[in-house]
Amino acid sequence: MGYWRFVLRRLLQSAPTFALITVLIFLLVRLLPGDPASAMLGDRATDEAVARINASLGTDLPIASQFLRFLGRLLSGDLGQSQALHVPVTELIGERMPVTLLLAAYAMVLATLISIPLAFLMALYRDRPLDIALRGAFQLGLSMPTFYLGLLFLTVLGAHLRIFPVGGLGRGPVGILYHLFLPALTLALGLAAVITRSLRAAILEVLQADYIDFARAKGLSERVVLGRHVLRNALISTVTLFGINLGQLIGGAVITETVFSLPGVGRLLIDAIFGRDYPVIEGLTMCFAVLVSIIFIVTDLFQAWLDPRVYR
Amino acid sequence: MARWQLTISATLLLALGCSGNADAAPVRGGQMIYARAWDSLYLDPVLNDANVDIWVLSNLYDTLLEPSADGKSVTPGLATAYELSPDRLTMALALRPGIRFADGTPVLASDVKFSLDRARDPKAGQWNFMLAAIDNVTAAAPDRVEIRLKHPDPTLPAALATFNTGIMPERAFMAEPGATLDDKAESFARHPIGAGPFRLAEWHRNLSMVLERNPYYWAPGEDGKPLPYLDTLRFEIVPDDATRILKLQGGEVDGAEFIPLARAAELAGDPDLQMRLFPASEVTYLTFMTRPTLKDGKPNPLTDPRVRQALNYALDKDAFIHVVHFGNGKPMTSFMPSTTPLAVAEAPLYPFDPARAKMLLAEAGFAKGFDLSVMIRAGSAEDIAVASVAQQMWGEVGVRLSLEQLDNATMTARYRAGDFQIRTGTWTNDIADPSEITAYFAYSPNIESQHSGFKDPVIDADFEASQKETDPDKRAALYREIQTRFDEAAPIAFLFESPYAVALRKPVTGFDQIPLGNNIFAATYIGD
Repeated sequence: MGYWRFVLRRLLQSAPTFALITVLIFLLVRLLPGDPASAMLGDRATDEAVARINASLGTDLPIASQFLRFLGRLLSGDLGQSQALHVPVTELIGERMPVTLLLAAYAMVLATLISIPLAFLMALYRDRPLDIALRGAFQLGLSMPTFYLGLLFLTVLGAHLRIFPVGGLGRGPVGILYHLFLPALTLALGLAAVITRSLRAAILEVLQADYIDFARAKGLSERVVLGRHVLRNALISTVTLFGINLGQLIGGAVITETVFSLPGVGRLLIDAIFGRDYPVIEGLTMCFAVLVSIIFIVTDLFQAWLDPRVYR
Repeated sequence: MARWQLTISATLLLALGCSGNADAAPVRGGQMIYARAWDSLYLDPVLNDANVDIWVLSNLYDTLLEPSADGKSVTPGLATAYELSPDRLTMALALRPGIRFADGTPVLASDVKFSLDRARDPKAGQWNFMLAAIDNVTAAAPDRVEIRLKHPDPTLPAALATFNTGIMPERAFMAEPGATLDDKAESFARHPIGAGPFRLAEWHRNLSMVLERNPYYWAPGEDGKPLPYLDTLRFEIVPDDATRILKLQGGEVDGAEFIPLARAAELAGDPDLQMRLFPASEVTYLTFMTRPTLKDGKPNPLTDPRVRQALNYALDKDAFIHVVHFGNGKPMTSFMPSTTPLAVAEAPLYPFDPARAKMLLAEAGFAKGFDLSVMIRAGSAEDIAVASVAQQMWGEVGVRLSLEQLDNATMTARYRAGDFQIRTGTWTNDIADPSEITAYFAYSPNIESQHSGFKDPVIDADFEASQKETDPDKRAALYREIQTRFDEAAPIAFLFESPYAVALRKPVTGFDQIPLGNNIFAATYIGD
């Protein structure tokens, strides 16, 4: 099977998953107790006010007709309108998604920059004091809650030393990268801990392989051996880990977004769930589903590119 | 002819809202950055549902009258005076000469008619009940509006000072795209134009909102020139309490709202900050379900008023205030916050008396106590604290309380269905009148008194009479009876009133948050 046939098959496989998610999410949000009108009105929810809002949102119709309406809109690319914010869901996602994606990508880059050199150091100095100390440090990093780490950074590096801003998004490419550094680092440290451990193990395994001895015997420099042979082969198993964690990064950025006052989709989703803002929940969840599918596909494709045996 | 003229000068009233360096001349210009905990949702006076909108709307939209700084009366706004006919069925309002909207177009009587007609439409939003007595509004002259009533309405002046009667420019509103007024409102609310001290310059949802000075605003400042003093007012949305305080301490913002009261004392000691606790209309209480049987058909002990009174006596309110709000607050003296006009504010209700509580429980046949469950908002530190303190205090008189954490929408659905025993609640007034809170708490036809099922025909009749009673003394007497009867029947546990906690950097002067919650930035400036 060729590489492109593998790509096509992978894309076709994700279509039913996506359809299932669409139906599930539509039903699940409506199974939650409480309706949008009650969530919006709270203490002041009179029967008339609730009936008026439900009628205007169409949430008083039978589930089947609501689903047909939803499907009709979806097929024409319309995700509906936020009930609380009175703006189209596509516009909201368009505003917020870039912030979360940028944050996740930034965290990914930082995690890579941290974990590759550290994994090499730990593997090459296996069971020596440096390796043990780093492993301990990562254990600590993994067990520290994200919001606590974030607040620690904000208090020390932000409010006291004033090296970084205390949250917010900033303006212009440099401003945004500067403002997003601490939140990205907060997310990256947790991720780096996972990746470094896995990469260290993979490197150790590859270092013992015969082809590494052979490469060295050919007289290749240590840089070429480590960079071209060890890293590439060690990355194969780690790339999957990147993929799984990127999905989690996007979904789990909500705490970081709250602590660092970032207008990302994590906060949007939480607000929408508490407010029973059905169109926003549906739109965002589908968007997440598409994104995670894309990430998994890209991960698989990258893995296949690293190791052609995957599609043969 | 009955004639109630508003004579106090607007300048004086605005100055009343000011504080701080009263002797120094106000500084004009500059930007103030204010950290808000939540962003606004919908900047439409009529169709909004939440305090995040209500509390900032008056900066954009001015009303005919304005709530006073103490929240108990009204002062002139876009109208300089109003006049009632002898039969109290017609109110005539004189518009202030030369007033303009933020786009420079004049504010005409026709704009007022348009705005009030939209606000009182029974199909529009949830606030139209405050204008239900209006029969019609006419633009008698370009600067004169006449409001004809179906029956005399003592709440009308307060209603004309409430956010939902913000005056909007008819022509600009109608020029928006959309088939219906609601569709047009959605478009208009993205770039609103009003006659308030500021106009919207930028809005990045959940990140920041920038308001700029409205050069056409009518009210003069202390220096005789028009307000506001600030060139721009920037709201930054910082949802995390700790981060909001860090931004203030780090000097990135000039003020921050919703300071947790646990940190008020610490911030009060910071030499760069001023910790302000503004008198509010916020009350925290527990609502009892008072119907004879529970949703599952079992008998309900809380249907007996003696049991509800006993539960009230068993609570040490000072301890609540100490534990939940670190000493910042006061016990309730009525179901209404003490900042409400006509609120009875003589003595705290149900002083702590566990012996009396036990006696009342014994009289009601519950000498050995009973089991109760309270619904609280999941993740709300305050609700958890309130319920835990109540659990301990009621335990002392033999009542065993269990806690049930629910998200807000689930909790609302449950209490609307009468499927609860006790739930936590917090209320703030929106109008400078006792009618709103009474309609929701004590008048049974509206929402069965907070969905408690409590019903007192005398209260219902008193409330209906009070809505038409224009004699201030007679209306006060009706409200006294409503409060006495409600407080005695105790369909709620009366806990405490709390202040609005705002921290500002030292140079900020003239900011006010009135008891209704409105954030008033018109006379705010950053001093030297």
